[in-house]
Amino acid sequence: MKTRPHFEDAHVGDAIPTVSKVVRREEVKAYADASGDQNPLHQDDAFARSVGFPGIIAHGMFTMAHVVKTVTDWTGDPAGLLAIDVQFRAVVFMDERLEAGGEVKAVDPQSRRVTLSVWAAVEREGKRVLAVKNSTAEVQLD
Amino acid sequence: MPLNKALVGKEYPPLTMEVDREAVERFADAIGEDGAVFHDAAAAKVAGFPEQLAPPTFPTRMQIAVSASVAADPELGLDYTRVVHGEQAFEWLRPVHVGDVLTAMPRIADVRARGPLEFVVVESEIRDAAGEVVLRARTTLLSRGTGTSES
Repeated sequence: MKTRPHFEDAHVGDAIPTVSKVVRREEVKAYADASGDQNPLHQDDAFARSVGFPGIIAHGMFTMAHVVKTVTDWTGDPAGLLAIDVQFRAVVFMDERLEAGGEVKAVDPQSRRVTLSVWAAVEREGKRVLAVKNSTAEVQLD
Repeated sequence: MPLNKALVGKEYPPLTMEVDREAVERFADAIGEDGAVFHDAAAAKVAGFPEQLAPPTFPTRMQIAVSASVAADPELGLDYTRVVHGEQAFEWLRPVHVGDVLTAMPRIADVRARGPLEFVVVESEIRDAAGEVVLRARTTLLSRGTGTSES
């Protein structure tokens, strides 16, 4: 078990550890089967090109799951995640490195709850593109 | 064509899903979640949970089915080829685990336009077999190019 952060360890402005992975076609296919979202935009390159993308894109919820994992990896407690609200702002292509992270925005000593701003980003043509922004998560710490 | 704003408040038929072990396993693998509580009932019990946990976004399986039924509603007038998933929120009252039988009660919470974009907000309260609320989900679908005003 990893060490869980205590409420006293969280300060406004602190960044939580980022988690990154390269998005692979096989994972996106596995996600389509696991989630039941069989939209061809996530499986069929020819279809994705017909609507203006260079190839298939990851499901927004695939990206969201990575953001959630980044938060629960930090808290170390899956029951500690109380709420999340994510805005999808850019698509993610295959073989891009998807990175997610967050920052402490507010702490409530009474409830020992912490509000984080959360994000997910990829590097594309030398620029950082935010796939998830203006998003928040609320967690309960010990 | 603009969407039918009269549908705000419309409720859709409840959708029930049993959380089975194999589906949880497959979902956890697909998102790269390797935490023991998501793969092993014994590890979950040691951590104080009644059963192997489903990853927090596992109810996406229900949200996708709910969105599909709303999108297919001819009264709403959504053209699914113009739809993108704009925003997703979950609020959990407890973690979902293997063996839960969950029922979502979807309703259209809002239909609004901003320039050429229209937004359809679908909210679902998701209860367990005992009738307790386990989580709430809010999905915002964006319909591109169907709004009437200029942005």
